[in-house]
Amino acid sequence: MTVEHSALALRGLAKRFDGTIAVAGVDLDVPAGSFYGLLGPNGAGKTTTLSMAVGLLRPDAGSAWVLGHDVWQDPLTAKRLLGVMPDGVRLFDRLTGAELLAYNGLLRGMDPAVVDQRAAELLDVLALGDAGRTLVVDYSAGMKKKIGLACALLHGPRLLVLDEPFEAVDPVSAALIRDILTRYAAGGGTVVFSSHVMEVVERLCSHVAILAGGTIKRFGTLDEVRGERSLEQVFVEVVGGRTATGEELSWLSQ
Amino acid sequence: MALPVSADAAPDAPARAVTAGHFVRLKLRVMGNSFRGQGRRIAMFIGGVLLGLWFAVSGFFLFAAPGLAGDGQYAVLVAAAGGGLLVLAWLLLPLVFFGVDETLDPARFALLPLSRRTLVTGLFAAALISVPALAVLVASFGLVLTAGALGGWTAGLVAVVGVVGGVLLCVATSRAVTSAFATMLRSRRVRDLAAVLLAVTAALLGPLQVFGLAALREADWDRLAGVATVLGWTPLGAPWTAGIDVAQGRVWAAPVKLLITVASLGVLLAWWSRSLESAMVGAVSAGKAPVQRGATGGAVSQLFPRIAGWARRDRFGTLVAREARYWWRDARRRANLITIAVVGIFVPVMVNLGGSGFASTAGEGFTTGTGGSSPVLVTISMLFVGVLAAVTLANQFGFDGSAYAANVVAGVPGRVELRARMTAFSLYVLPMLAIVAVVLSVLLGRPEWIGLTAGSLAATYGAGLAVNSFVSVLGAYSLPETSNPFAMNSGAGMAKGLLTILSMVISAVVAVPMVVAAALLGDAWLWLALPVGIAYGLGTALLGAYLAGDVLDRRQPELLATVTPRR
Repeated sequence: MTVEHSALALRGLAKRFDGTIAVAGVDLDVPAGSFYGLLGPNGAGKTTTLSMAVGLLRPDAGSAWVLGHDVWQDPLTAKRLLGVMPDGVRLFDRLTGAELLAYNGLLRGMDPAVVDQRAAELLDVLALGDAGRTLVVDYSAGMKKKIGLACALLHGPRLLVLDEPFEAVDPVSAALIRDILTRYAAGGGTVVFSSHVMEVVERLCSHVAILAGGTIKRFGTLDEVRGERSLEQVFVEVVGGRTATGEELSWLSQ
Repeated sequence: MALPVSADAAPDAPARAVTAGHFVRLKLRVMGNSFRGQGRRIAMFIGGVLLGLWFAVSGFFLFAAPGLAGDGQYAVLVAAAGGGLLVLAWLLLPLVFFGVDETLDPARFALLPLSRRTLVTGLFAAALISVPALAVLVASFGLVLTAGALGGWTAGLVAVVGVVGGVLLCVATSRAVTSAFATMLRSRRVRDLAAVLLAVTAALLGPLQVFGLAALREADWDRLAGVATVLGWTPLGAPWTAGIDVAQGRVWAAPVKLLITVASLGVLLAWWSRSLESAMVGAVSAGKAPVQRGATGGAVSQLFPRIAGWARRDRFGTLVAREARYWWRDARRRANLITIAVVGIFVPVMVNLGGSGFASTAGEGFTTGTGGSSPVLVTISMLFVGVLAAVTLANQFGFDGSAYAANVVAGVPGRVELRARMTAFSLYVLPMLAIVAVVLSVLLGRPEWIGLTAGSLAATYGAGLAVNSFVSVLGAYSLPETSNPFAMNSGAGMAKGLLTILSMVISAVVAVPMVVAAALLGDAWLWLALPVGIAYGLGTALLGAYLAGDVLDRRQPELLATVTPRR
């Protein structure tokens, strides 16, 4: 597979912070139309990898292509095709939900009438219309995720990159986000998202990659990666977990 | 296993009490860790230490001068006026320029079982561990030398106690006042009251200046000594003069003055402790805002505030609209706007009117019926105001923090970004500057100078915008994500101060042609100043956005990384 045919292609992406290696050469091909889950334990480098893939963090080495356009050589074209929801990044949260959507839409050069129409629809579908003039800073964590997703979807991107879209989201909102993403993928869009919730990944994804210690340990279609076992068993084996024996922490039971 | 819940399930008393020492060590550790691998921060810190050292040494000799000269006549004057100035500086400078170091964010202690007393003494002790506090301590030991030289070791000993109390008073003042203002600016109800209070506080700059100028004018040292004696009985001067009083035989005064110091310190700490509590709870949740309904129109028309209603619905207009909303809705930015408004009015009025008083009493020199001011003096004071207004944008990306990622992802061109930010800020500042220009000319009794004042303001403000475009792209730093608009990261206070000074100096240099023109061109300049000033300001601002926009395009991700707070 070549970089021209993938929705997202990463080649040798690497990043080092203050002497510690966060990402040590990641290669990844996300086929167009796939629903790709990037799995990894905390600190595996998921956020760093995705930030470099979408142009938020300059890599020390390597490159990233979105639908054949180099993110770091030709950023404007690549960013037009891309919808991003970063994690741990604030939104412009002194705006209301509707204002935030209008801001993101117009910033991407969309027609105001289209922005109005899509914003109203998105707010309605994501059940954010009730918030009215409430500022995003006063939203709950789940509402913030939803408005972030709406911002990423608004301009109808071909590739959606979501960092931890199901973190801190209640089951009702999570089901809603799942539905929307499934419909987006069914309509020909490509979704890449990071998570450490196996159940969601197994339910949604066509492809998965397991990232640990800054490198990709396993990748392929969901069935290729998990084989006969459950995804969780494969994940724990790849990552190398540790189980409590019951001897330590005895003071917890009084 | 279910734990039985019973009356005797109260937790054991902690094995060791938490003391101020823990807070001090924690602060030192946090500071040390924040330097790890951050060459620029270390350099900033060393710069700050050197500056502090310079201040400490020169202050020491100023305070010690009466003692070294063996002349007690002006000892009280030096102690009361110098010490009073120090306290006032600690009161005003954090509000207007520097912010307060919030290495230990009070909100982080909200969940710990600490009594309020422990917390306040601990945070206070930690606040004392700072370069400015230590510099002031060293400087004020000059007073100990003076007291010792004039009155022997008992006087020196009293002076030590007094001086230490004075330093404590300085730090407590800055903490209590910034914390109180932060609380008020955060609350949706009394926000506007806070704005007024801040204005009044900053307005203290005015009387201060009048006092200073009066001192110069009168040059009546005996009367000044009288004022200083009175000042010595207020909290501003009490701690600093106690030692001198003993040296000059007024032994009875020392305990009273020390009592005044301790009492003020207690009041300030109590005040701080009250607002601290709301800061701790407030950072966890600013309170549920009432759901406001009545959104009218589509999303796009909601985004554009009336002040930016004229803007086209494109990238530039959108950025302007969002920035315009932010200058009003973000407490940190609003505090800056208020500062500009207040300082912008008071400083030129004081400089020019105070100058007139000075000159007319002197009865000679450059007074030729022009009310003491001159086109050059007016231009210079306008230069200060214009530059000060623009320097607010020196860390404009730091205000956004990680939210700036949205613009990076959308691929906003740097030039559009910078031009839009200048425009939105100017929507608020230009009317203020216009008011300053008109008010000043009217107060001076020279309405024909409106062109001169307005033109100088336009030129210097434009030059400042241009310079600060570069500063904001190249010298950005992250601001803590607390609700205290005055809070700074450790070491960032220094960065802010240095960047502010640097950018003000460069902006002033860029705007110097206006002063030169005012000096050389005479009356013709009164008519030329407005068109030339506007053209000069607009030209430099656009050129600045054009050039700095290029730089911004190249380092958007790096800028995002520097303004994203480390957590």
